[in-house]
Amino acid sequence: MAGATENTHLLEMSNITKQFPRVLANDNISIYLKKGEILSLLGENGAGKSTLMNILYGLYKPTAGQIFLKGEEITINSPKDAIRYGLGMVHQHFMLVENLTITENIVLGNEPGRMGILDYKAARKKVKEISEKYHFSIDPDTKIESIPVGLQQKVEILKALYREAEILILDEPTSVLTPQEVEELFMVIRELRKKGVSLIIITHKLDEVKAISERVYILRKGKVEGERITSKVTKEELANMMVGRSVVLTVEKEKKKILHSPIFSIKELYVKSEKGVDAIEGLSLDVRPGEIVGLAGVDGNGQSELAEAIMGLRKIESGQIFFKGKDVTHLDTKGKIRSSFSFVPADRQKLGLVLPMKLSENLIIGLHDTEPFSNGLKLNLKYIDEYSSRLVKDFDIRTPSVSVPVSNLSGGNQQKVILARELSRKPKFMLVSQPTRGLDVGAIEYIHAEILRMRDAEVAILLISLELEEIFALSDRILVLFEGKIVKEFIPEDTDEKEVGFYMTGGSKDDRYGQNG
Amino acid sequence: MGKMVKPLFITLIILLLSCGTVLWLASNFYGILMVIGSIGLFFIYKGIAANREKVKEDLKRFTLTLSIPLIGVIIAVIIGAIIMIITGYDPIEAYAALFYGGFVRNWHVSVLNAAPLIFTGLSVAFAFKAGLFNIGAEGQYYVGAMVAAFFGITIYLPPVISLPLILLLSGIISSLYNFIPALLKVKTGAHEVITTMMFAHIARYSSSIFIRYMGGDPNTSRHPYVTYPILESNWLPRFQQFLPHANYRLHTGILIGIFFALFVYYLLYYTRIGFEIRAVGLNPNAARTQGISISRNLFIALLFAGFLAGLAGFNQVNGLDHKLFENLSAGYGWDGISVALLASSHPIGVIFTALLWGALDAGGQFMQRTAQTPNSIVEIIKGIILFLVIARYIYAYIGNRIRKRRGFVKAST
Ligand SMILES: Nc1ncnc2c1ncn2[C@@H]1O[C@H](COP(=O)(O)OP(=O)(O)OP(=O)(O)O)[C@@H](O)[C@H]1O
Ligand SMILES: [Mg+2]
Repeated sequence: MAGATENTHLLEMSNITKQFPRVLANDNISIYLKKGEILSLLGENGAGKSTLMNILYGLYKPTAGQIFLKGEEITINSPKDAIRYGLGMVHQHFMLVENLTITENIVLGNEPGRMGILDYKAARKKVKEISEKYHFSIDPDTKIESIPVGLQQKVEILKALYREAEILILDEPTSVLTPQEVEELFMVIRELRKKGVSLIIITHKLDEVKAISERVYILRKGKVEGERITSKVTKEELANMMVGRSVVLTVEKEKKKILHSPIFSIKELYVKSEKGVDAIEGLSLDVRPGEIVGLAGVDGNGQSELAEAIMGLRKIESGQIFFKGKDVTHLDTKGKIRSSFSFVPADRQKLGLVLPMKLSENLIIGLHDTEPFSNGLKLNLKYIDEYSSRLVKDFDIRTPSVSVPVSNLSGGNQQKVILARELSRKPKFMLVSQPTRGLDVGAIEYIHAEILRMRDAEVAILLISLELEEIFALSDRILVLFEGKIVKEFIPEDTDEKEVGFYMTGGSKDDRYGQNG
Repeated sequence: MGKMVKPLFITLIILLLSCGTVLWLASNFYGILMVIGSIGLFFIYKGIAANREKVKEDLKRFTLTLSIPLIGVIIAVIIGAIIMIITGYDPIEAYAALFYGGFVRNWHVSVLNAAPLIFTGLSVAFAFKAGLFNIGAEGQYYVGAMVAAFFGITIYLPPVISLPLILLLSGIISSLYNFIPALLKVKTGAHEVITTMMFAHIARYSSSIFIRYMGGDPNTSRHPYVTYPILESNWLPRFQQFLPHANYRLHTGILIGIFFALFVYYLLYYTRIGFEIRAVGLNPNAARTQGISISRNLFIALLFAGFLAGLAGFNQVNGLDHKLFENLSAGYGWDGISVALLASSHPIGVIFTALLWGALDAGGQFMQRTAQTPNSIVEIIKGIILFLVIARYIYAYIGNRIRKRRGFVKAST
C-alpha cells in the first residue's frame, strides 16, 4: 500500500493467531504500522481487536505469529518488555490512583530518586517538561480524584510518554469522553504525531476513524477483513465491511403521540455524593409511558447519583419518587425490580455484571428468585440455559457457550449481556445509562431499534447519555442536567447539539438563574 | 438410548459409587475399585449422551482443577525428602511408611481424622463463597461438641429420633453462636476474622467450665478431665454393625460429612440461596444492583458456616469419643481452614482434602513408630503444601496490586 517498503514499517505483527479455549480470537492476522502514522483498528464486538493489542503489549502470549520492530523480530513477554521497546497502552478503564497527584501517578513504578525515595521535585519538573512539550495544560499537583475523565485520560497518555513511548496504543479512548473532550484528545493525538509518535487507535465510531486516522484495518471474526486509506472510503463502506451487511447508521425515529400522563415522576430530589456534598439538588422530572426522556449532561453532574437513587441504591435526603401514582421513594431495589423497573448502569463491570459468574447466571440475576427461573428454592437450570441461549441468539452475543464466565467476553459483548437482561425483563420503566458504550455500529443499530420498540410498547424510558448523538437519535424530550439540577428542557426538533452543549456546560449564568428564579 | 436404559444406567452408577465409597471408607479395597469403576462408567455414559468435545473439555477442566493441589503436594513431598536427607533420615523408607500407614494399614484412622475436618472444611469453604473468612470455626466446633455432649447425656429417646435431634441441636446452637459476629458484621462492618476469632476463644475456654460441670470433677478424675459418657443410644452407628470386618471405632460420621458436602454443593450451585451467596461473594455491588440483599446473605452464610462447624463437634462426641475431653487445642477449626483452602473452597473437593489431611496425620504417626522418623516431618509437609496453595492466592493478590499500582491493568476488553 502506498508504496510502503519493508524498511518503512516501524512495527509489524505477522500471522498472529490467538486461540482461547473454544474461541479463535485472532486468526492469522498480519498488520503493520508506519512511523508517524495514526492507524485505526475497526471491527465488530468480539472481532479480536483488544486481544491483538493485548498481545502487542505483552498481556497475552500469541499461539503463533511474530512481531517485528524496525525490521527485527522481538518477543514481548510482559508489559515491562513492551515499555522497554517503546510501546505504551492506554486501556479503556484507567488505572490511576485517586488520591495521588498527577505527578505521582505519572511517575509511579518508574520514580526518579534514589533507594525508593521519591524525588518529587525532579519528578514534577520532568512531568512539567513533557506536558509542555506536547502542549498539555495540566497542573501537576492536583489530585486525580478532582479532575474530569478527559483529563485523566491525558494523564494516562502522559504516563506512556513519560516512559518514552514511541508507539501508543489507545483501546477505545473516546467511549468515555464528551464531544469536547474528544476534540481535545484529537488535538493531542495530532500533536503527538508531529513529534514522531505513532499511534494505534481502537474505536467503534466511524466518524472518528475518518477524522483522525490515515489508515484503517477492518477486523471481522478474528481475521483482517480489509485495509483502507481512510480518505478514500465512506462510512457506509466501512460499516458494511465490519458487519458484513449494510447498516443503518442512524435509526429513523417516528414521532409518536404521547397519550398518557406521567407514570414516573421525581419531585424535588436531593441526593448526596460519596463525599457528602449535594450531587442532586432539587431535581424534578416526569416520564410518560411511551416516551424517551433524554438526560444530557457532562459526566460528573450527578448522573450516577441520580441513577442510584432512583434504583434504591443510594440514600435519598429529601424529595419523592412516584411510580404509577404510588410513592416509591423508599422502596428497595428488589421492590423496584419487582414493580418492573429495568436499569442499565453506566459502569458495566462494577454494577452491571458479576464477572466471574457464568453468562447464563448474569442473564437471569435479579429475576433468579422468580418463576420460571426458580421453583421454590431450586433454580430451574434447564430453563435458565434455554432462556439464555435464546437471548444470546436474539442479541447476537458472541460466546462459545452460555456457561463461560462473562469475564471471557469482549467488552462490547459484556455490554450486550446487560442490555439483553434488562430489555428482556418486560419493564414498565427503564433507566438506561450509556446503553451503547463500547458497542459496534451493528449492535448500536439493533439496541436503538429495541429501545424504540420498547417505547412504542408504552414503556417509560429515562435515557442518561454523555453522547448527544444518542440523545438526539432516541429522545422525545431532552433535559439538560447541570450540577445536579435540570437547567433546560428541549424538544429535539427545535434545537441542535450546539445549543444543548451550551447548557450542558452551564450556559450563561444569568440565563440559568433566570430559569430558576 | 432407550428411555428406560438411561435412568437404569444412572442408578447403577450411583449404587456402585455409594457402595464403593462405604466399602472403601471401611478399609475394604474392593471399594476403591468400585468407585473408580463408577467414575469410568459415568464418563462412558457422558460420552454416549453428550458430544465428545464437551466430555474432553470436562475431563481437561477436572484434571486442571486437581493439578493445582496435586502439584503443591508433590513439591512438598520433594522438599520433605530433601529435609530428611539433610537431617539423616531415609526418605524412601519414611514415605513408604507414611503411605502404607496412612492409606492402607491405618486407613480407618485417616477416615476418623477426616470426618470432623470435612465439617469444618465445609464451614470455612461455604463462608468463603460469600467472601467471608470464618476463622472461628474452631469455636463453633467447641459449641457443637458441648451441645452434643449435653444432650447426649440427657436425652433418652430411640436413636432414630435422638440422633437427628442432637445433630440439629448442635448445628443450630453453633450457628446461633455466629449470630453476634454476623450482626456486628452487617450493622457495623466489624470484620468477621476478629469477631469470630474472639468468640472462638470464649468457646474454647467455656468448654473447660462445661466439662467440670458435666462430670469432670478435678477432685476425683485425672487429667484430662472428661464429661460423663453419653448414653449408648446416642452413639452414631458404627461400620462394624453392618460390615463385620471394619475397625470397631469407625463410625458413620464420615458418611454424614459426605452427605453434607453434597448438600452444600447442591445448595451453592442448584438453589437460589447459593446463587445469591456466590453473587454477593464475587461482586457485592452488582448483586446489590440486582436487588440481592448483601446483609441478608452474609448473615445466612455465617450462620450456616456455624452450623456446619458445630456438626464437627457432634461427630466427635457422638461418633468417636462418646464423651467430651478437655482439650483446648483440638485444632479442627484451624485444620478446616487448610482443608478448605486446599480444595479451593469446592465442597466436593473438601471431602478429598480432608481425607488427605487425615491420612497425613495417621500415616505420620505410623511412620514415627515404624521408621523412627519424627512425625514433625508431616507437619512440615503440611505446612509447605498450605504455603504453596496460599502462595497462589498471595501471588495473585500481590500481582494484581502491583499491576494496579504500576498502571498495568489486566488485559483490556
Ligand atoms: N480471556 C479470554 N478467555 C477466553 N476467551 C476470550 C478471552 N478474552 C477474549 N476472549 C474471546 O476472544 C474474542 C475476541 O475478544 P476481544 O476482546 O479481542 O474483542 P474486541 O474486538 O476487543 O471486541 P469489543 O469491541 O467488544 O471490545 C471474543 O469472542 C472473546 O469472547
Ligand atoms: Mg475490546
